[in-house]
Amino acid sequence: MQNTTRQATRKRFLIGGIIAVFAMLAGTWSALQLRDRTGHVDELAATRFPVARDISAFELVDHRGKPFNNASLQGAWSFLFFGYTHCPDVCPTTLSVLNSVAQQLGSDAGNVQFVFVTVDPERDTPGHLARFVSYFNSDFIGVTGKSEAIEALTKQLGVLSMRVASGENPDSYLMDHTAGVFLVDPDGKYHAVFMPPFTAEMLVTNFRKMREDYR
Amino acid sequence: MAIAGSTLSAPTMDVIDGWVREAPPTSRVLAAYMQIINLTDGYLTVTGVTSPDFETADLHRTVVEEGVARMLPVPELTIPAGSSVTLEPGGLHLMLFDPVRPLQEGDSVTLVLHRSDDICITLSVPVLRGTGAEHVHHRH
Repeated sequence: MQNTTRQATRKRFLIGGIIAVFAMLAGTWSALQLRDRTGHVDELAATRFPVARDISAFELVDHRGKPFNNASLQGAWSFLFFGYTHCPDVCPTTLSVLNSVAQQLGSDAGNVQFVFVTVDPERDTPGHLARFVSYFNSDFIGVTGKSEAIEALTKQLGVLSMRVASGENPDSYLMDHTAGVFLVDPDGKYHAVFMPPFTAEMLVTNFRKMREDYR
Repeated sequence: MAIAGSTLSAPTMDVIDGWVREAPPTSRVLAAYMQIINLTDGYLTVTGVTSPDFETADLHRTVVEEGVARMLPVPELTIPAGSSVTLEPGGLHLMLFDPVRPLQEGDSVTLVLHRSDDICITLSVPVLRGTGAEHVHHRH
């Protein structure tokens, strides 16, 4: 009789233990679900540096012919993209995405600038860039300069570009180029980089999280 | 989407969600995107594209390797039996060079897909702005 009671107690204990383990697992699971539902981003889709990197001096010119240098990156968040205006797929796609980012940020975009830096200065004059960037968004900034001056910036961010012949016309060449979106913080420091493919929603969510952490 | 030019009574190919991205005023190169569906029980191969609205047209693929985007010519595109291939921003696309008239959103262009079985598929696709995400809708 006693034996039976002890067995029954042990059984209850065992069942209780199993229930406790399940409850813990369920609790953890629902906590994870809740966290997901709040839209909280634990894992960034960007590569963020533990310590933002300095950007050493560079001297370029914007689409209005004004200087664009380190000082131009101070006091606002900057999304930088490198490409060329004759680019038919990746560049228009990315600039359209960045335009959606600007719209989704809305009034929040006041302290954010979007900068398109050409890797094809031979064809992309300030006037040409002006027509190109303003097609996507009238606030976008186009930047060009001498090849060496552009390299002074691209080298620091690890941006690569290479001219590739296309067809018989030597003027219709294509450019291979790094297609990342680079984030520079209001201290003018290289903060993070996004690699394609990206969506406006992903950029906005990740940017807001990084901006929160920065404050 | 309007498809004409097939001489067969049963359709062998369907093309849906086709569009050409309106180009910025600085560019004379446009890209076209679409989904090509093979309705036959054999493979179909697209060997080229032409258009009365452009000087030249090519099939290309954007590949991103270690963050660097490059465009590679695609000599031909094979679609397996009962399967489909999607041309989309940042991937496979048609490159359309030198439009013969100014093109803007609201216009439509004619594209001709040439196949290895000598059948041509003529499409009429709209010119649209944007990323493509806002244009693609699911069909049943």
